[in-house]
Formats: sequence, structure tokens, C-alpha cells
Amino acid sequence: MSVDFAISVQGLTKDFRVGLAGHKLRAVDNLSLNIPRGQVYGLLGPNGCGKSTTLKIILGLVPATAGKVSILGFASATSEARRRTGFLPEAPYFHKFLTGRELVSYYARLSGVAEVDLTSAVEAALELTAMTEAGGRTIGTYSKGMLQRIGLAQAIVHQPELVILDEPTAGVDPVGAAAIGKMILAMRAQGKTVVLCSHLLGQVEQVCDRVAIMDKGKLVLEGRVDEVLARRDRQVITATDLTAPAWAAAEAALLANGAKDVSISHPRRSLEELFRELVKGSRDA
Amino acid sequence: MRNLVKQSLRRTAWIARITFLEAIRQRFFAFLILLSAALVVSSVSFRFLDFGHGELKFVADFGFGGIFFFGSILTLVMTAQLFFAEIENRTALTLLAKPVSRWEFLAGKFTGVWAVLGIFIFTLTFILGLVMWGRHQELVALAEAAGRVPPDLSVSGVASYALLQWLRLGVITAMVLAVSSVARSFLFAIVVGAMAVLAGQLQWIAQEALLKDKDLGMMQQSFLWLITRVIPNLQQFNIGDALALDVASVANGAVWAASVSGCIYILVLLVLAGLGFRRREI
Repeated sequence: MSVDFAISVQGLTKDFRVGLAGHKLRAVDNLSLNIPRGQVYGLLGPNGCGKSTTLKIILGLVPATAGKVSILGFASATSEARRRTGFLPEAPYFHKFLTGRELVSYYARLSGVAEVDLTSAVEAALELTAMTEAGGRTIGTYSKGMLQRIGLAQAIVHQPELVILDEPTAGVDPVGAAAIGKMILAMRAQGKTVVLCSHLLGQVEQVCDRVAIMDKGKLVLEGRVDEVLARRDRQVITATDLTAPAWAAAEAALLANGAKDVSISHPRRSLEELFRELVKGSRDA
Repeated sequence: MRNLVKQSLRRTAWIARITFLEAIRQRFFAFLILLSAALVVSSVSFRFLDFGHGELKFVADFGFGGIFFFGSILTLVMTAQLFFAEIENRTALTLLAKPVSRWEFLAGKFTGVWAVLGIFIFTLTFILGLVMWGRHQELVALAEAAGRVPPDLSVSGVASYALLQWLRLGVITAMVLAVSSVARSFLFAIVVGAMAVLAGQLQWIAQEALLKDKDLGMMQQSFLWLITRVIPNLQQFNIGDALALDVASVANGAVWAASVSGCIYILVLLVLAGLGFRRREI
């Protein structure tokens, strides 16, 4: 059980039995991962690649077929590990009759927050997730983005060292997704480790320090984001107000100095950036 | 150690509280409590079917029967529904990712549902008690005027009935939780739970056969013995009319014996539910 890592997964395998004959379906295949403390870690992969199963095993919600998992040095599924962990499941659902504040208080109590610290812990979690004002409304009246934010509030109310977020931006508009991205960065600034499962690769790229990519239950790539994305065999030169003759001269100079596959293009902003720029100031609160 | 137990009880109490609040808001609960109350109140309207002591017995049987029947349906559906709602809506994911053990989750669910059933039973028994007491006063006046022996009505007997029925519904709740802990669907839990309740109601037949039939073979005896040990005897709680109208006919200690066995059944069934739920994939 390594205490150096927030999560340590060694040789994890999970088989499900399907059908009447009980055929074996391998969801996670001999996965080994070490997630460092204090970083934002992206766990990526296509649907059905075993990400959610891995998260559930880490949280002790599903037993592993083989392998070992530890959280902050404690065996996963123990209350010591869970007390230090916060979890936001994909598309969270909460009791609609409770107000946001009541819900966060409920989960705070389940997480062992003492009664004397309860109000301050709940208000701090609501503030970080920008839900202070909406905290008095019943959850049945919340939009999808607000549900995600209140889900995030319940995940962090007990000040966990590790926060696991499964698709926190699913169904949320880009403005809301950006706000959640900022919250993730704020958690990292507080020294927490965040494990992020998401299909929004642009956001993962922005907020994650490291990523792991899974496919068919196996780990196919793991490393620092800047390392795995960098293409060491390509260079980019960016310039403004470049005239056609100037470009021709520059291209000739580059070719003369041994450069190959020289091309010119206009840099593009991402659709997400354009969208956020156009709808600036609008958010669901 | 003491602190750990305190924290565990606190978590269980909070899960029970939320379960209670969720259950009490269900339209199904409101519908059944209103329907049962209407049935209990209307029992007096059928008094032309019998007179004197028999009439009061009819009112008691009618009312107790309604509480018994609708209470059983409410317990079956509500317990399975509240359990599967947590799994299907995936609130169990968030809940069990907290430092909440599966035992605490089940104990909380049980306590929340049982508290709602307590409201159902005690409200309806109170209404039935009022109906019976009112009619009893009239019958006593009529009997005195006619120089006949007035019928008996024991208020404490009605209260004992309420407690026994609450225990009986507690046993059914624990039974349905035990089935739900391993069931994959709500429908399966309801069907198997209903069969288990029916078997519990008929268990006394096996008990009678085991006690009275001396010509049974070894295999038959073993089979009946097993049935009487494995299936809870739910019939032992149905002594409402005797408790209310003819306390003398109830054997000494029968209420205590039924109460103790009810508590043991609940405990054993909850342990079985916990064992079934322990390794369930959420």
C-alpha cells in the first residue's frame, strides 16, 4: 500500500458474468496505475473501455476479480479511505424534495463532519461550487448544470484529499463546463488530488496534469499532458500581417535550411473558445 | 469504540430519516392510508350483518382485515420500491462512496420504512379503536336496557394488536429487504416477496401438521421441521380480535412470545439481507 500516491492500482482485473451460461466478459484487464498526489489526473477512453468500472472498484462499489487498489495508502473500500475521498458519479440524481443545502448537510453528516463544523463546511462547499444562492431551493427545480454543481458540493463538503469526478460536465453547456473546470483547478490549488473522467478532451487538456487512456479494459497510454501531446518532429511559426512576398521569402529560407513539409495556414481557435466568447456573461444560476 | 458505534448509529439514523421523508411523500402511501381508513370507518355501516357481541366482532374483523391486507401490500411495494430506487437512480453510488457501510445502509432503509409503517398501523388502529369504542358504548347501553350481558372491549388489547401488527410488518419489511438484496429487478423482488409473505401466513399449517400428525414419515417430518424453522410464522401476529374482544382466550405470554419471535425474525432476516447485499455490485 503506497502512501506516495493518491491512488495505487496494481494488476487490476474485473470479469463480469453475462447470460445464463455465465460467459466471462473482461471489463478491466490487468490495469496498473499510480496517481500522484496533488494533481489533476484525467482518465480517458471510449464508452465501455472500463473507466467507470475502474472507478467503482477504486471506490469499493464493485469487487475486483484480481489485483490490489489503495487510496492514500489505505485499502480501498475501507472507511478510512472513503473518509478521505469525495465522489461525483456520472449524471448524479438526488432526492428532489431536499433543498441543495439540506442535501449537502446530509452527505456531510454521512461523511463524519462534526455538528459544530457542519454549517461552515456546508457553506464553504456551496460557495466553492457557486451554489450559495440556490442552496435554499429544492433540487427538483435545479438545471442539469446546477445538479452537477450540487453533486460536486456533496463530494467536497468533508474536505477530502482525493476527489473523483465521473463525467462532471456531461450535459452541461460550455459556460457551465468552464466553471466546473475552474472549480477543479481551485481544488488542486487547495492541494487535493482530482481524478477526472471526461469525454470533453479540450477541458481535460486544459485542467489535467497527467492523463491515462484506456481501451478495451487496458491502459494504452499514460503520462504528463504536455509530454503526451507534444510532437517533437514538428515546429510551428506564428506571425501576424505576413504579406505573400514575405511568406514566399520565409518559405524559401526554411527550405534552404533543410526544413521539410513547410505549410502556411491561419491558426484556429477552438469552437469552445468561440462559443464561450459569444455567450459570455450568460450562465445558469 | 464507543465513538465508532455512535457515528455508525448517527449515519444509520440519517439514512432512516431521509428514507422516511421519501416514503411519507409517496402518493401510494397516501392512497393506501386513505383507502384503509375509509374501509375501517365504513365497517360500522355493515353492522346490519350482525348484532350484539357478534356485531363488534364483525367490525373488528373487518377493520383488522383491512389493516392487515393493505398494510402487507404497502410494506411489500414500498420496501422494494425504496430499495430499488436507490440502486436504479444511482443515489446508492453516492451514498455508499461515503464512509457508510452496507449494513448501515440496510439498517437505515429498514428503520425508515418501519417508521412509516408505524404511522400507518397506529393511525388506522387508532381510528378503528375509536369506531369500536363508539359502537361499544351504544351496545353497552342497549344491552343494559335489555338486561343482557354487554360485550367486552379491551382498549389495551387493541393497542397490543397495533404493536403486533407493526412487528409483523417489520418482519415483512426485513423479508423484502433480504429478497431485494439479491434480486436484480423490482418485479422479481415484489413477486418473491409476496410469495414469502404468503408462505409465512400459511406456515402454521406445517406447524400444526408437525405437532398433531403422528403418522408422518421421517422425510415428511424433516421437511415440515425445516419449513417451520426457515419460514417465519406470520399468523402468530393475527390475534387482534381475541386481544380486543376476548382477552381471556389469549394464552398467557402469547403477546410477549410473538413479540420476541418477531424481533428475532427481523434480526435474522436483516443479517441475511446484509450478507446478500455485502458483495452486490452497485
